[in-house]
Amino acid sequence: MDGEAPRARASWENGSLAPVDRLRTERADSPTPGLVEGTEPGAGQKSAMFVHAQSFEDLNAEVEKDARRDDEVDRSEGEHAEEELKVLVREENIEEPPNSPLESRSKEEDVSSEAWRSHRKHVFVLSEAGKPIYTRYGTEEALSSTVGVMIALVSFVEAEKNIIRSIHADGYKVVFLSKSPLVLVGVYRTCQSDKELLRELQYIYYQIVSLLTLTQLNHIFQHKQNYDLRRLLAGSEYLTDNLLLRLDRDPGLLLSAVTCLPLATSARDVVSSSLQAAKATNLVFSILLAGDQLVTLIRKKDQFLHHIDLHLVFNLVGSSSSFREGEGWTPICLPKFNTAGFFHAHISYLEPASQLCLILVSTDREDFFNMSDCKKRFLERLSKRSAYQALKEALKSPSYSVAQVGIPELRHFLYKSKSSGLYTSPEFPVMYQSDEEQERLMGLYQDLHSCLHHPTRPLSYFYRCGETENLLAWVTSGFELYLCFSPLGTKALAVSAVTKLLKWIRKEEDRLFILTPLTY
Amino acid sequence: MRVDAKVVMLGKESVGKTSLVERYVHHRFLVGPYQNTIGAAFVAKPIQVGEKVVTLGIWDTAGSERYEAMSRIYYRGARAALVCYDLSDSSSFQRARFWVKELQNCEEHCKIYLCGTKSDLIDGDRSLRQIDYHDAQDFAEEIGAQHFETSSKTGKNVDELFQKVAEVYNSTAFQYMTAEETGVDLGQKKDSYFYTCCHNN
Repeated sequence: MDGEAPRARASWENGSLAPVDRLRTERADSPTPGLVEGTEPGAGQKSAMFVHAQSFEDLNAEVEKDARRDDEVDRSEGEHAEEELKVLVREENIEEPPNSPLESRSKEEDVSSEAWRSHRKHVFVLSEAGKPIYTRYGTEEALSSTVGVMIALVSFVEAEKNIIRSIHADGYKVVFLSKSPLVLVGVYRTCQSDKELLRELQYIYYQIVSLLTLTQLNHIFQHKQNYDLRRLLAGSEYLTDNLLLRLDRDPGLLLSAVTCLPLATSARDVVSSSLQAAKATNLVFSILLAGDQLVTLIRKKDQFLHHIDLHLVFNLVGSSSSFREGEGWTPICLPKFNTAGFFHAHISYLEPASQLCLILVSTDREDFFNMSDCKKRFLERLSKRSAYQALKEALKSPSYSVAQVGIPELRHFLYKSKSSGLYTSPEFPVMYQSDEEQERLMGLYQDLHSCLHHPTRPLSYFYRCGETENLLAWVTSGFELYLCFSPLGTKALAVSAVTKLLKWIRKEEDRLFILTPLTY
Repeated sequence: MRVDAKVVMLGKESVGKTSLVERYVHHRFLVGPYQNTIGAAFVAKPIQVGEKVVTLGIWDTAGSERYEAMSRIYYRGARAALVCYDLSDSSSFQRARFWVKELQNCEEHCKIYLCGTKSDLIDGDRSLRQIDYHDAQDFAEEIGAQHFETSSKTGKNVDELFQKVAEVYNSTAFQYMTAEETGVDLGQKKDSYFYTCCHNN
């Protein structure tokens, strides 16, 4: 794995973590070399792949800004969207009751039961007219009165020219997110901060926008305020269900980052350049996934993908077996890129039983056969090279053990390189292998994340001793790090482990990160 | 792969369009929770007709209303449309009528195959049938369509259906070819059936 000539290797002698070449030129005067954004382990060597959301705070600010911009976009909405909408509106006279796919979900839960009440995280989506659109548990029909109360609260506070943000009572948090024409409400029993919970609701909002576009949503509700949006969302509920599960389990959603399939640089470079060569006029992004891990991503020059959009794509591909049937071709809105229009994605697996899924995102809805051709060219090129074999080998060990780091007390960690928007994390050790334990550990990380990113009193450093594990979290301008130690370890040990771990990541960064993202 | 004929599957969600394609292309029936198609899926399938091989390019579309605005790109230039309805669900037949009308208005050269699905359910319990065979047959005759009742679970009529599609394509393709040789009718409005988006393959 480290047979390749290193492009940027840390020099251990002087105790610095910065790549030697950079240290000499740009960062020589830096007081804490290696900890500065852009030089941390895993930092991309060319431009980044993603929209540059430097931190959680930026991301949230961006969300607010977006909301305002969206309004402007809507006013000048294109004719193209209009044309598609006409078809939708014309169809409205065929009134059918919401149909079987809804019932086929295991949602026949009684909403008055104790079991229903005791779920840890409830999520509701409603229209501004107070119609239920989505509930995580139970059926929407049974909830009309509950939803009525929610919308009453929202409009009561709004009447005073105010916005309701959250209600804290009796161990519960009720968080409101008003995103016209939708209102999202979360009812939680958790110690996560409001801000974190709001972020989860935002994901759900973007999930819905990615299916319909905001332009279409606005158009529908302008024409018919009490429209039952479930008609258009029918059959997509499981995408939202799955996204909610991911929010509890996937560190990527917590860290606003994605993780890569560990792969030797030489192999990744060949895969990337093969994909880069298979280009077409309207192709904007080519994404190769292995399960939930990124193998490579090629983008059009100057076009960036936001990690939220990428996670929505991950969720779409990961939730559905539909793309195994043949070559998929679907409209998809990438809401952080543009809430007004659809891209068109060609989604297919490289081989029938393969984990490798290729997503080609085009701007043209007539582009199916061009994209299909791109895939063919990519496969032809790739099959001729040994890199394909190396890639298939890498799929057999998609993760690594924390033992490789060589810190006995270390059980697990999350490391995010801020400038590249990528993170790495070992597989869960034996004691965290069950779903409950995994979710518990993720819950602990979430708590730490909440503390570090507290809206008024953010921390950069946090050590917590517990009965079952000790935790350390550290955020700098370059990276975010969360460590989980055995409860027998000491603080001094934990602190010394950080340096050791960072050195290890630096040594392995070629394999764990995508250091040279390509563009068309 | 060169695609000879574009074939599109249309019909209300969960009537079993994907299962039909799955049975025909992969000879299998997947049991498990219902998974709706996202957007559309494309499969090319060569089929033997007499001494010729015809490759059908099958577009399995999503039944969800959400994708309706996109449906035109899937049926435009199609040589055959398999309009599916669930024999045990009368509302799906209403939806089939809608698709037939849509095709008649926009794609007059597309052959329509009216296709009842899940006939194994009806065979198991006759009271489940909501669409009378003769009613559907009458409707099919009225619109000049072929009519099949199929089961993807047992495979009943599935191969026959696609075989028919290929045969009809084969014979009409020959007709069109000879028609073309007689000259070009300038008065004829621009025709869609010579256009398929499979050209560049």
